[in-house]
Amino acid sequence: MSFLGYVRSDGSVGTRNYVLVIPQGIIAKSICDFVAGTKSILTVDHGSGRTANDREQIARLLIGLGRNPNVASVIVHAASPGVGYPELRAERLADEIAASGKRVEVLDPAKDSGTYGAIVRGIQLARMMVYEASKLRRERVGDEHLCLGVKCGYSDTTSGIAGNPAVGYLYDKVVAAGGTALFGETTEIIGAEQALARRAASPEVAEAILRAVTIQEERAKATGLDIRTVNPVPSNIKGGISSLEEKSLGAIHKAGTALIQGVLKYAEPPSRKGLYFVDNWMGHLSIFAGYAAAGANVVLFQLGGGGVAGRTLLEGSPSVVAPFLWATANPKTYAAATDSIDFYSGTVIDGSETPEEAGERFYRTVIDIASGTLSRSETLHYTEPIDMYLQEPRF
Amino acid sequence: MPAKRALIMHRDDNVATAVEEIQPGDEVAIPVAGTVLALRATESIPFGFKIALLDIPQGDIIRKYGETIGKASLAISKGALVHIHNLEGTRARGDLAKGGKS
Repeated sequence: MSFLGYVRSDGSVGTRNYVLVIPQGIIAKSICDFVAGTKSILTVDHGSGRTANDREQIARLLIGLGRNPNVASVIVHAASPGVGYPELRAERLADEIAASGKRVEVLDPAKDSGTYGAIVRGIQLARMMVYEASKLRRERVGDEHLCLGVKCGYSDTTSGIAGNPAVGYLYDKVVAAGGTALFGETTEIIGAEQALARRAASPEVAEAILRAVTIQEERAKATGLDIRTVNPVPSNIKGGISSLEEKSLGAIHKAGTALIQGVLKYAEPPSRKGLYFVDNWMGHLSIFAGYAAAGANVVLFQLGGGGVAGRTLLEGSPSVVAPFLWATANPKTYAAATDSIDFYSGTVIDGSETPEEAGERFYRTVIDIASGTLSRSETLHYTEPIDMYLQEPRF
Repeated sequence: MPAKRALIMHRDDNVATAVEEIQPGDEVAIPVAGTVLALRATESIPFGFKIALLDIPQGDIIRKYGETIGKASLAISKGALVHIHNLEGTRARGDLAKGGKS
């Protein structure tokens, strides 16, 4: 199969065509308020008081978002409080993004007549950049240019039975076509890590999967808490999940059956195609921006929802530049939030579709959205703030 | 009345997942490898919750997806609801790691 995408100069293919303005702050916000077709990141953390490891993680996220194939060109401003650190200098971010072949402009209040001056220059630049980007036409390309990221959440037992298996089918299909597929949530593979390690492409990858779990489990134990008071979260338990292990074993179905090619850090792009495990945290305001920074051009939230039935989901995209899809297999969730759900696979539970049929339909939904059909969350202006996955203390 | 449906994820499992609301006394039919396993529910099993397929002694492993999802914290009888009141996760348990505190 194939989809219609925007071919970039480095050969990567976008499913969208945005001008990105980073990092967050009044300059980025003002430009985006003024100019159509722009995107920015919304987060309260700019790296000030952060350790070198965490500053590098922030830089990796910002650079990765800039390099994402859904981005045509980028404006980087130098008015962030974190900009004095070597990792977060505007020129460094700009240079690493520009290495992908994109146009990158830098705004600096010190050179551009202050903050107001930088905003005015930024608006002028962004208008021309959006105009230039709009001249690019979608072209038909192969599925090897798809890069998906997934999380399952508000999980209930429909997630493991029908929701995640549909994602697994989609993942297998994309990986078989030569594409890239990312899954993660280290806490949610505790109890299922041996099953994943058996699918590692090499002993080193198997060891990296087990090591990620050991570190996370030791961290959990060090709290002295019964993990069940934290995870499974209350909505999981209300949805019928009884233990972290049960949640994990249901969760890994979304990774399909392909070999796992490697273990990546948060926001780290894979070096090759195929299926990758990302050592990240489950929070949806954290994980999707990380996938987008790793190069995902479509991201999926597989929703159980049994524990939050009755909620009409209207949350905006937390993936900054990657179209964000909601999928569920829970008939109650679907009935409550039909407007917000892009894909429903409860048909597998009532027997009206096989998992393969549902998976095929999911695949076609993803191809449509990759080709330009809006995801339900993209019909909203609302943007979720990003909770970057940073693990070290602040000083 | 037709039997209520529950799904087993792997032939080694000792629990199945209800895909309908099951009432006490309901007959439950579980498709397993071309045949159907029948049993009677002794308790309410809400949609998405688990039913014991056989008697599970206290301390025994509870299996779903062919893997361990925890152990029985109480003796569980065939047809009973299996959830946090009688199934105990064993991983990442900081309370147990500290020794005896529960």
